[in-house]
Amino acid sequence: MNKETIVLGLGNPLMGDEGIGIKLIEMLQSASGDFPEADFVDAGTGGMSLLHLISDRRKAVIIDCAHMGTEPGTIRQFTPDHVKTVKQLTHLSLHEVDIIKVIDLARQLGECPEEIIFFGIEPETVTQQMELSNILTDRLAQYIETIKTQL
Amino acid sequence: MSNTEVEVADINIDVKHLTRVEGHGNIVVNMSAGKVEKVQWQVPEAPRFFEAMVRGRHFDDIQTIVSRICGICSISHSLVATKAVENALGIEVSEQTDMLRLLMHYSEQLQSHVLHVGYLVAPDLFGAPSVVPLISQAPDAVLTIIRAHRVANQWSEVLAGRITHPITIVPGGMSMIPTEAQLGDLAETLKATIPDLLTVADVVLSVAENLPAFDRETEYVSLKQDNPPTYTFYHGDIASTDGYTAPVDKWESVANEYVVGQSTAKWAKWHRDSYAVGALARFNNNAELISPLGKAVAEKFGLEKGCCNPFMNNVAQLAECAHVVESALELIDKLLTKGLKKEKVQVKPRAGKGTAAVEAPRGILFHTYEFDDKGDCVAANLGIPTNQNHANIQKDFEAFVPQFAERGEDALRMGLEMLVRSYDPCISCSTHMLNIEFVK
Repeated sequence: MNKETIVLGLGNPLMGDEGIGIKLIEMLQSASGDFPEADFVDAGTGGMSLLHLISDRRKAVIIDCAHMGTEPGTIRQFTPDHVKTVKQLTHLSLHEVDIIKVIDLARQLGECPEEIIFFGIEPETVTQQMELSNILTDRLAQYIETIKTQL
Repeated sequence: MSNTEVEVADINIDVKHLTRVEGHGNIVVNMSAGKVEKVQWQVPEAPRFFEAMVRGRHFDDIQTIVSRICGICSISHSLVATKAVENALGIEVSEQTDMLRLLMHYSEQLQSHVLHVGYLVAPDLFGAPSVVPLISQAPDAVLTIIRAHRVANQWSEVLAGRITHPITIVPGGMSMIPTEAQLGDLAETLKATIPDLLTVADVVLSVAENLPAFDRETEYVSLKQDNPPTYTFYHGDIASTDGYTAPVDKWESVANEYVVGQSTAKWAKWHRDSYAVGALARFNNNAELISPLGKAVAEKFGLEKGCCNPFMNNVAQLAECAHVVESALELIDKLLTKGLKKEKVQVKPRAGKGTAAVEAPRGILFHTYEFDDKGDCVAANLGIPTNQNHANIQKDFEAFVPQFAERGEDALRMGLEMLVRSYDPCISCSTHMLNIEFVK
C-alpha cells in the first residue's frame, strides 16, 4: 500500500543547479523517519514515469529546478493552477517531458492527487558540472525548512 | 488543385526546436519551382560531455554517473558501463547476475517501446496532437497503453531498485536482488499484461495505413548472438545486414564517426553512406529468433526480415514488446528453478581498458573506459544509438522529400517529423527543467 504523500525530487545532478531537486530529496530521505506518511523518491529525469509515481496518492510534493523569472536561489511554492508552462516541446523525442503536462494527463485519467505542491528553485548555473552553485548551496538548509512546512 | 500545380509550389520548412538549454533538432527543407534546394536534419551533439565527467572517477562510481545521461535509457547506460568496467578489470559475473541484469534490461525495452509507440507514435497515427487529446478520441487505447507502461515500470523497480537510474548494479554483481516471491509475482503480472500488449498492437494496426509507404535500402547494424542463437539485446558481436561482423571492442571502426557542417553531432557510417540502429535493425538481423508472440505481432503488420521502411521501426518495437515479455517469463522460470542465492562481490582495481555493448531500446550502445592501476578512469568513449542514426535520417530525408513533396508543405513537414520520431531519437534528454510563467 502506497503512503498517502509522495515527495519527488526531479532533475539531473550532472547539470549543476538542475540537480537541486535530487540534492534536496537526498537530504529529506535522511530525515524520512520524521515523516512516516511520506515516500521520498529521487525521480531523476524519469519523464512519463512520474505519472505512475503520483497516481493514487492523496498529495504530491514536487521539488524541481525552475526558470521562473526570479532571482537565482529563490524558492517559490506554487500549485499547477498557479502557472502556465512556457516550455516548448518538439514532440520528436520521448526525452522531453513537461511535468505540468503529466499532471494534466493524470487529471484526465482521474488518478491525480487531490493536492499538488511545487517547490521551484531558480537556478544560477545550469551546465555540465556535478556541483550546485554557491548561491543554492548556501540556502540548502533554508530550502529544507520551507519544504518541511508542507510535509 | 492539380498535381502539377502542387509540384511547382515552393516549399519552405524550417522547424526549429529550441526546447532546452543544450539541445534541439531542426528540420530544414527548401524547394523552389519543384526543385529541392536544401534538405537538412540538423542536430546538436548528444551528451558527449559525460565522457569528460567520468574521467578521474573511480570505477565503482561510473555507472551511477552515466545512468543520469538519460531518464529513458538509464538501465542500458548503467548495464553497458558496468559490463565495460568488468571487461577492463577482468571480472566474470555469475550466471545469476547475468540473468538478473538481462531481466532488468528487458524491462527497459518494454518501458521505452510502450512509451514511444503509445505516447509519441499513436497520436500521429490517430491524427491527434499529443497523447492528452487522444484520451477523448481513443480512451480505451490510451488506458491500455498506460497500464502496460505501468507494468513495465513496476518490473524495472523490482530489478533496478527504482523505476529509473538503477541502484542495484555494481561491478562484479548485484548489490540487491529480488526475492523469489517478488519474481513469482512479477511473472504473474507479466502473463497478465500480454493481452494488453496485443491490444496495443491491434490498436496501432487499426491505423497502420497512416504509416507512410517509404522504402530506402540501408545497412542495419545491431548485436547478433550465435551461441546460443538468440534475439539478443545483451550479448554477442556487432553484425550488419550487409553480411559483416565485428567484435564489440572494434566498435569505433564500425561507427567511423565523422564531422559534418550541418550538425554538431558526429555522424556514423560503416559500409554505406549511413547505417541504422534500433528495433528494425535488430529485427532485420535476428528475425528468425524472435519469440512466437513477437513473430505473431510482426506478421499482423506484414513486417518481414529485410524490411527497409524506417516507419516500420515502430512495428518492430511492438513485436519486441511481446518478445521481451515472453523471454522474461522464460528467464524468471530458470531463475526460480535454480533458486536465488546471495552472492558476494569482490573487485580489485587494476589498470586496463574495457569495452561493452548492449542494445538500448533505440539501438546498439557502446561504452569504452580505461583505468589506471588505482581504478580511476583516465579515458572514456561512448557510442550513442541516436548519433549512429543521424546520417541515416539525413539520407532518408533526401529520398523522402522528392517522393512526398507533391502532397504539399504541411503533409511533408508532418511526414518528416514522423520519420524522425520513428527513429525514437534521444535528443536533449539530460536536462528537463520547468520553464514557467505565473498566472497571477
